[in-house]
Amino acid sequence: VSDDGRDDTTKRPSAPPRTALLGFSIPAMEALDRVGRPFIAVVPKEFEGYMKEHGIAYEVWDFARLNERSGDLAKRLADRGIEVAVPLYEETVEWAGALNGHFRDDPRLFTRYLLFRDKAMMKRRAQMYGIHVGVFEEAESKADVLRFLNRVNQALVKIEGDVADPVHLKPLASAGSVGHRVLATPEQIENLSDDEFPCLLESHLDGQEFSCEVFIHRGKIRFLNINEYVHLGYSNFSPAGPRLQKWRPQIREAVEDLIEAFEIDDGMIHPEFFITDEGKISFGEVAARVPGGHIFELIESAYGFDPFLAFILCVDPRTTEEELADLFPDESDFQCYSGCLMVYPKRRVVTRVEVPTSLLEEDYYERHNLFVPVNTKVAERVGFGNHYGTVYFKGSDATKMRDLLLEYEKADFYVADSPSERQDAAS
Amino acid sequence: MNSPEGTKATPSQRVLDRLSEKLDHWLGEVEKAKPFARSGYQTEVFQIAETLMGSMEGLRLLYERAHLFESKQVFQGGPWADASKLQPALVKGSLIGAGVYPVVETMSELRLLAVAAGRATDSALTRDEARDFLNEVMALNLEFVFPGDTEQERIEGGPHRDSNLRLFALIAEEIGLDSLRDEVVSEIEQVTAQHPVLTQRVRRMVRMAARIPGPDPNSDTSRRLATFSRAVEGPTELSRKYPQYVEYRTAVKEADRDTLAQEAHDFAESMYATGLVAAHHAILLRHLRAKEHELLPLALHLNDLGAAELAQNAETVDQLIQVAVLPGTAQSIYGLRGVLERGLLSRQEVTAGLTRLITLDLTTDVRRMLLRQRERKSGNTANSVLVAGTLSVLGSPLGVGQGRNPTCQAARGISLWAQHAPGFLIELIIAASRDGAIDLPFEGKTWRSDQLHSSKSLELDLDLDPVSVVLVPHLDRLYDQLMKLVALRGEDGHKWVNPALYGRWVPTGFASVFSNPAQTVVSGYEDFVRRFFATHHPAYNDGHALMYPNPVGLCVTNSHGEYLGPHAVSLQRIEPDPRGQLRAYFYNPNNEGRQNWGEDVRPSVSGHGENPGESSLPFDDFVARLYAFHYNPYEEGDAYAVPDLDLKRIEAAARNSWGRAFTWEPTL
Repeated sequence: VSDDGRDDTTKRPSAPPRTALLGFSIPAMEALDRVGRPFIAVVPKEFEGYMKEHGIAYEVWDFARLNERSGDLAKRLADRGIEVAVPLYEETVEWAGALNGHFRDDPRLFTRYLLFRDKAMMKRRAQMYGIHVGVFEEAESKADVLRFLNRVNQALVKIEGDVADPVHLKPLASAGSVGHRVLATPEQIENLSDDEFPCLLESHLDGQEFSCEVFIHRGKIRFLNINEYVHLGYSNFSPAGPRLQKWRPQIREAVEDLIEAFEIDDGMIHPEFFITDEGKISFGEVAARVPGGHIFELIESAYGFDPFLAFILCVDPRTTEEELADLFPDESDFQCYSGCLMVYPKRRVVTRVEVPTSLLEEDYYERHNLFVPVNTKVAERVGFGNHYGTVYFKGSDATKMRDLLLEYEKADFYVADSPSERQDAAS
Repeated sequence: MNSPEGTKATPSQRVLDRLSEKLDHWLGEVEKAKPFARSGYQTEVFQIAETLMGSMEGLRLLYERAHLFESKQVFQGGPWADASKLQPALVKGSLIGAGVYPVVETMSELRLLAVAAGRATDSALTRDEARDFLNEVMALNLEFVFPGDTEQERIEGGPHRDSNLRLFALIAEEIGLDSLRDEVVSEIEQVTAQHPVLTQRVRRMVRMAARIPGPDPNSDTSRRLATFSRAVEGPTELSRKYPQYVEYRTAVKEADRDTLAQEAHDFAESMYATGLVAAHHAILLRHLRAKEHELLPLALHLNDLGAAELAQNAETVDQLIQVAVLPGTAQSIYGLRGVLERGLLSRQEVTAGLTRLITLDLTTDVRRMLLRQRERKSGNTANSVLVAGTLSVLGSPLGVGQGRNPTCQAARGISLWAQHAPGFLIELIIAASRDGAIDLPFEGKTWRSDQLHSSKSLELDLDLDPVSVVLVPHLDRLYDQLMKLVALRGEDGHKWVNPALYGRWVPTGFASVFSNPAQTVVSGYEDFVRRFFATHHPAYNDGHALMYPNPVGLCVTNSHGEYLGPHAVSLQRIEPDPRGQLRAYFYNPNNEGRQNWGEDVRPSVSGHGENPGESSLPFDDFVARLYAFHYNPYEEGDAYAVPDLDLKRIEAAARNSWGRAFTWEPTL
């Protein structure tokens, strides 16, 4: 026990839990279980059976409803000794804000977390603090979108006949790229449905897109991962290759600006940026939960530490310097580049999975989890979400990684066997 | 035997080495993982396994590790976890399915193969048990052991058909095919002994069995199999000579009377012996109807009563043959025979009902479901499928099966009404096919099936006879609703639901071993057994025979005597068998062939005085698996006279089998 009362509870399972995990996540629970740190999982009703079956401490909560009863949940958790709430999913972020605000008696915490839940608000905040962002507007209707598209292209001094620069439409409060649309023509705008409003509109930013996974404790960056998007929604790898890494100092500065702008003391953020060949960085958006795209898995595979544990420890203000020092490696000390391809069927109906032999032969190929979908009819894709399976790669050369991810994006992993196709093959 | 090995490019040794290295790694991770986190690591193993299943070399590599699967907890947390609870009948459904199921199922078979080979010694199964299990799995999956190359077989083999072929090639290679033929033929005999209404599956098995190489065509097994093959493909001289329907029809038209009589005789004998009807039989019957009416009794294998019934109802029979008896629905000939021998056509309500079905307006749903039942190009209309199905059910009431559905209750109702209320059954069929709904009054309120929802009926597997296809969705919803209504009454709801659902044939007295509605605590077991003796055992119940089938509940167990679940059967009669042993004869809607309930309790379907469709057990064995029955409270005999020794023995048998899964309240 250190003298300031921050006793190390991690190795004493008998200690009362002080961490609440918001949302059901097996790797997060596993991370805490591994270090013998007790916790309570706050999960939606449908996971209650699972928690009971495995004897895991839990509270049932419906995160979808309005935030007004967070006081109840805070009290229930506080009565059980909880002092820290960790948001694992997008819809739990404001709950973490509210709960941590209750635990620390700091109502402003909640408001700060709310910034993460409104993409227009977070951009405005960044802009007010002098961070470079594209042009953006909130839109209430299709007319707003059309006007925004026209104004942006006028500003780019396009004349009739030029190809219009696209604009981006994003829901105000959805995870990552869910609901993200790219619009360049009045027809595309006309096809939008009314339930997509209100939303955020952004001008198109040129350059390489990347994300950062920033582990922050006591206002300081403890670990900064740069994750390279190869094709947003389809493939990425960590850490980013040399082309991005050479801007690491500038990227670090941009992230520090963001931390200051958002007054973040403890936790993990997952901002997305664009960078031009000249090193000009523009801010896209930022989230405060576990990132998508399997990025945590990629970080673990590349750097060898458990990002879930890191996230949870960083959210807790009582985590010690020693614990953090034990956990994080040097940012330049990675074992390999670790990438993944998110696979989505290219056909409307799929009946079989076909993995090219060349992939199995590939040195960088690690593993995949493509199984024959139980439902042969392919679901409509929402934004860049709901991929059907993932292929993982690992290797020492970033360029090769990039090429492989792009090459196998073209592969047709989910195939259909129609009787006529078969006959063609047989004859 | 076809070799599936060439169906896919063989991965290089380097790939196989990498995969096996990864497999070992992830097997270790699965073992290390906490149970709550294990499923993620299991998925990694399943994925590698799926890749390995893609080639024979890979499959062997997987098999080399199969003895480790159980100890590494590969199956933990899923339906495959306990090897002793696996059921051969479920294997195929998983193998041809999607998602991760075919992979887990394959790995499960490999682990059993390792047990059978003596490589895995820590399993819940012995070597012999694993071998028996795999033999039965092969018997039920002959299309994988001996694949054909028809388009239909390819489609029905599922997305992993090639892997399945490799799996069965490996199983056959490891445990051999020596006993398979016997296995299959005895399975066919057990199933056909029950004269099932739905014969597609057993016909398929007969056809498949012909693919099994048998060195000795004169062996007993070969001869037994040949009887079934002929029954299906053509048991008469002309039908063998002219397998094509059109040619057979021409041959029949040109045949003289003696030839026709010979044909009629041979078809009839084959049908009588096997319960299976050849498609050509329908063509002959249609011809006889028009041209040689007096040969019909011979062709139908009718006894005197049946022949008299036919003479009296010639016009109706003509009409029924014309509508329902086509090559695609030839099995209904066996039903027609039963209907005649049971004298059902002399009942005005049956004749009128059947005639009504011929022209009934069907709802679109019913029409679609019925048409899906018929074979392609059969020429049957939806109405003709329905009439044929109704004849079959009325002619073999104990041949009704629940298929792969958890709907034993509905099957039991159909069977009961077919026996004792044929007019009522036809009324239900008419209501369900014309109105798309069945009404059922219960305690002053009438429930309509089309206004009820049941998640279960949405997933109904339609591999059922036409009458069940039409009725089961409705009966199942009504049954669910009634059980919901009585759920809080503090006793087993079947006490009220059975008489309401099945009708006034069910006596209102009701006894159950469970004292609470959740059915977790057994109490008053001795009283329960005494009461059953006093109401059902001829030595203690004043010699009353059962008047109607009694809907009773059994605790079904696996071959280790472990409780699997409650099951609805109908007690048909209690009588001494030909050897003088008192037996309970019952209708079991699951139509299974060989059954082994553990502790030497094996229901038989033939050889102990069973009528077709009946299962039977020695009286005491039956009582020991019983958990609920109905009785007439005014017909209780001498409960006090039942010897203590019998009671003790039955209670011990109950406690040692299904009873292990329950809490027993001490006897007061």
